[in-house]
Amino acid sequence: MQSALWVSKTGLAAQDTALRTISNNLANVSTVGFKRDRAVFQDLMYQIDQQPGGMTSQDTTNPSGLQLGVGVRVAGTQKEFTEGALQTTGQSLDLAIEGRGFFQITMPDGTLGYSRSGTFQLDQDGRIVTAQGFPVEPAINVPADANEITIGVDGTVSVTIPGSATPSQLGNLQLVSFMNPAGLEAVGSNLYRETAASGTPQQGTPGENGLGQVVQGALETSNVSVVEELVNMVATQRAYEMNSRVISSADQMLQFLTQNV
Amino acid sequence: MDRLLYISTIGAAHIERAQTLHAHNLANVSTTGFRADFAQAQSRWVDTPDGYPARVYGITESPGTDHSQGMLRATGRDLDVAVEGSGFLAVQLPDGSEGYTRAGDLGVDSLGRLVSGEGFPVLGEGGPIALPPFTQIFIGGDGGITVQPEGQGPEALVQVDRLKLVDPDPSEVAKDATGLFRRTDGVPAPADPDVKVVSGFLEDSNVNAVNELTEIISLARQFELEVRMMQMAETMDESATTLVRVS
Repeated sequence: MQSALWVSKTGLAAQDTALRTISNNLANVSTVGFKRDRAVFQDLMYQIDQQPGGMTSQDTTNPSGLQLGVGVRVAGTQKEFTEGALQTTGQSLDLAIEGRGFFQITMPDGTLGYSRSGTFQLDQDGRIVTAQGFPVEPAINVPADANEITIGVDGTVSVTIPGSATPSQLGNLQLVSFMNPAGLEAVGSNLYRETAASGTPQQGTPGENGLGQVVQGALETSNVSVVEELVNMVATQRAYEMNSRVISSADQMLQFLTQNV
Repeated sequence: MDRLLYISTIGAAHIERAQTLHAHNLANVSTTGFRADFAQAQSRWVDTPDGYPARVYGITESPGTDHSQGMLRATGRDLDVAVEGSGFLAVQLPDGSEGYTRAGDLGVDSLGRLVSGEGFPVLGEGGPIALPPFTQIFIGGDGGITVQPEGQGPEALVQVDRLKLVDPDPSEVAKDATGLFRRTDGVPAPADPDVKVVSGFLEDSNVNAVNELTEIISLARQFELEVRMMQMAETMDESATTLVRVS
């Protein structure tokens, strides 16, 4: 059968994945702490139909061969960890990381997840938890009678208690950094998990050793650029159309052959 | 059997191959750093014992790769580099040999090595490039890599290494079966100080989509001509049998 059909099919599949990545980025344009993905394409292997330099006779060789590529594949999606803009909200438990680093979140199964989304709240026990109710690590319990929560740039959490002049310190939020954040596995709900590709988490105090500072009362917006995604969408759609054009052309060739021979 | 039929059959089969080659180019119209392949038809004479060279087969060859510059696309990512003009980035393949690529979507692996988009270590002046933990990375126009080590200020920039940039003659490199370029003689190419890179950009595929589509349409028409010739051969055979039929 016409191999052009299968080659173009890989092109269609790749553009399809690209469009899906773009639509996911656009859908998350206002998700706090979202990092955009980009689809990475690579050419598939080549079949060598005729070896360049092969012998055509005792003392002559092929000046050029015939290498036929078999299409394109999506090598993967790459998260881009550029920083989103900070948006001031004034909520005392809204935190943003200005610079590198992730918050540590205790997942329901006891393992650690990592997040840049700082929309924290208190649960019924006074623990600082994410919007899904997962507690931050190290766990911080806010007393029921606490007035005002203050979180410093170095992650120090303190509250004022009625009747006490000095604020009492509840704990320190710690951040982690990874050698290769793009290698983290995104598990949804703004959470990432450590993988072999990301390297091990390096824990530290915010603002030290290259970790970013914690900003209270602000959130990090999504780093999706709407204009860029829309331009990518146009390019993807046209590439899709051209690949489907090749399929219809190959189809017409086969049709002509079967009708006329 | 009429030889005309075989000439047309081989012609049609080779048009299908050329079609595949163009379809591959079009499938990679958005692959970073992809270089389009050329296709050309070549005539092959068949020597006949009676000395009358009536048969010429048309076969498809790919004489090489288009090395023209693809468009540079701004991405703003520090680890995206595009080669400006001719030249390649050098990567180390699992068998220890060197491969060359134009795709500069670099990354850092868990060991802190600079790797290409396919995961091969990128070569510097003295082998694979290892980066210390850093907060910022800058890749200069000559491939020089500077990092701001983790925990230090912008005054403590460290020059780590320099990308190995090579510029072998296009006739000396060919795509291997994985699509990476390799020197045909197997000898690593020397680093060339004249190759320039630009950080924050990626090079798009240099496939000219209009060209490829036109070629595909034109090849489809050629294919129809070949099929018509097959029909012709059939008609001629039929007339021959009718002529000699004893009625």
